[in-house]
Amino acid sequence: MQLNRRRELSLDLWAVLLLFPLIAVPFLTNNSLVYSLTHQVVIGLVATLGVYIMLRMDLLAFTVPAFMAIGGYAAAIVTKSGSSNLLLLMAAAFVVPALFAIPLGALVLRLKGTYFIFITYIFNEILQLLIFETPTLTGGSDGIAGLPPAAMFGIELSSPRMLLLVTITVGIVAALATLAVTHRFRPEFSSIEENETLAQSLGVAVWKYRSIGFIASAGVSGLAGFALVNQLSTAHPSSFASFSAINYIAYVFVGGRRTMLGPVVGTVLLVSMSNAFSSQAQYSSALFGLLLIAVVTIAPGGLVGTGQRLVAALGSRFRGKALASEPNKTHANGEHV
Amino acid sequence: MKPALNTASGSLRVEALAKHFGGLKVFDGISFTVPPGEVLGVIGPNGAGKTTLINVMCGMLAPTSGRVVLGDHDITGKSFHAISQLGVVRSFQQTNTFRSASVEENLFRAERFSAARRGPDLGLPALLEEFGLARHLHEPSDKLPYGLQKMLGLVMVLAVRPRFLLLDEPVAGLERRERTQLDRFVEHAREKLGCGVLIVEHDMELVRRLCPQIVVLEAGRLLASGAPDEVLSRRDVIDAYLGATEEE
Repeated sequence: MQLNRRRELSLDLWAVLLLFPLIAVPFLTNNSLVYSLTHQVVIGLVATLGVYIMLRMDLLAFTVPAFMAIGGYAAAIVTKSGSSNLLLLMAAAFVVPALFAIPLGALVLRLKGTYFIFITYIFNEILQLLIFETPTLTGGSDGIAGLPPAAMFGIELSSPRMLLLVTITVGIVAALATLAVTHRFRPEFSSIEENETLAQSLGVAVWKYRSIGFIASAGVSGLAGFALVNQLSTAHPSSFASFSAINYIAYVFVGGRRTMLGPVVGTVLLVSMSNAFSSQAQYSSALFGLLLIAVVTIAPGGLVGTGQRLVAALGSRFRGKALASEPNKTHANGEHV
Repeated sequence: MKPALNTASGSLRVEALAKHFGGLKVFDGISFTVPPGEVLGVIGPNGAGKTTLINVMCGMLAPTSGRVVLGDHDITGKSFHAISQLGVVRSFQQTNTFRSASVEENLFRAERFSAARRGPDLGLPALLEEFGLARHLHEPSDKLPYGLQKMLGLVMVLAVRPRFLLLDEPVAGLERRERTQLDRFVEHAREKLGCGVLIVEHDMELVRRLCPQIVVLEAGRLLASGAPDEVLSRRDVIDAYLGATEEE
């Protein structure tokens, strides 16, 4: 498993490294379609990482749109008050939802399974209502429009190219944060995911690690909200609709929930697909549904998980042959293919 | 927390412990002491409340009344993980491991989760070798045969450096020739950590071998306590077991 852990780490690292070449995109093309697709993929990925972190502990959280809204609105309000420094906005978009997650986590993290899913879904609806009912702070149904873009070193990052660069930067920061949290606490998260009772019996304070994950998930979701608000220069409740949670969840399951590469693969594939089918938008959610059913029944590990299994099966067949010619080594690798 | 914890002279006591589920009294007025380094057997027919007793002692269930005391510490009603961190650690009747994780990873986690309690070398490699786990270190734990999974569960409990072990039917489902491994396990735990051990078991041979003191639970009350030979020859104890003894 030492080996396995290393393999999982390397897939996670690949997921993060794959984001870096995106920095070149704004410098290679002016194509607005490519720009729009890249924005969608990166923002979708960051939101999806919010789901992924919670799934590491076997919790299916619908809270992502709500925390995106809190992060997005927090950044918008800071911008409105006159400071548009990129680092400050990112910090606000991460920290404010993370702070919200502390009391909310104390309430909902004792729930499991369907109850947890239900309550986190309701939280989105409550937040939407709150946005509509507090127009002085959030602009209500009008949202907060006409926001100046984020700035760095006193330069407004307002061109389409710079806007995209900001989104990509947010994506990389969020991916690094996800990597840091999920690796620092991997033994605890995995133990809670697989066998909570046993973890507790060995002294793991389950609530503590659940809270850490929930806070990180909220912060990462908030970053996605900020990137979206910055791209649109508007914070609007419709950007954070409850049902969008289902998309992010689909991205993780289709891509694979066991490594960070899963969300990357799932997001790229499904965002591209829904763009390709955008002329038949009414069918795209049906298609999503079918794809989800197909993956869950045929390839429960998602695309990445299935790929890993194939590689492992091929690998041990190969090793099996190698061992057969070396009768001294009686290692049991070939046994469980 | 220093290794001093492990050699501290506190006993594990339950005082007038009771657990009711609504109108159902699982047990009532149970009191006994497990001294450090000693082995206490808990026997009784199925349904006597033995597993529930462990569940209450380790904090998985709150007692209806009574106390669980560790040394001078009242640990009644503390959470499951907190009691484990204080050094009262249970094993499970069924096999219980982090399934897809390898044997090595399972042990790594047990050690990591108890990193606050470092101390003398536990000699785990020798134990793994003896139980036949050593050559399966890199296999997923749920692919192991039943007996090995159960022994892995016990070694993990040991790896968190308990002061007291609560073993819930540790040899249930094991073949007769595998059962002597538990003798080795208990001996090892006492030698390395000075553990007190509470064993719930149906295997009377094993109880006689390992437990200088036993208590008999019957229908939720403490029927008898003392040395096994004396207790097991008592008329009321034999009656309690008649027709209820299960042979695996």
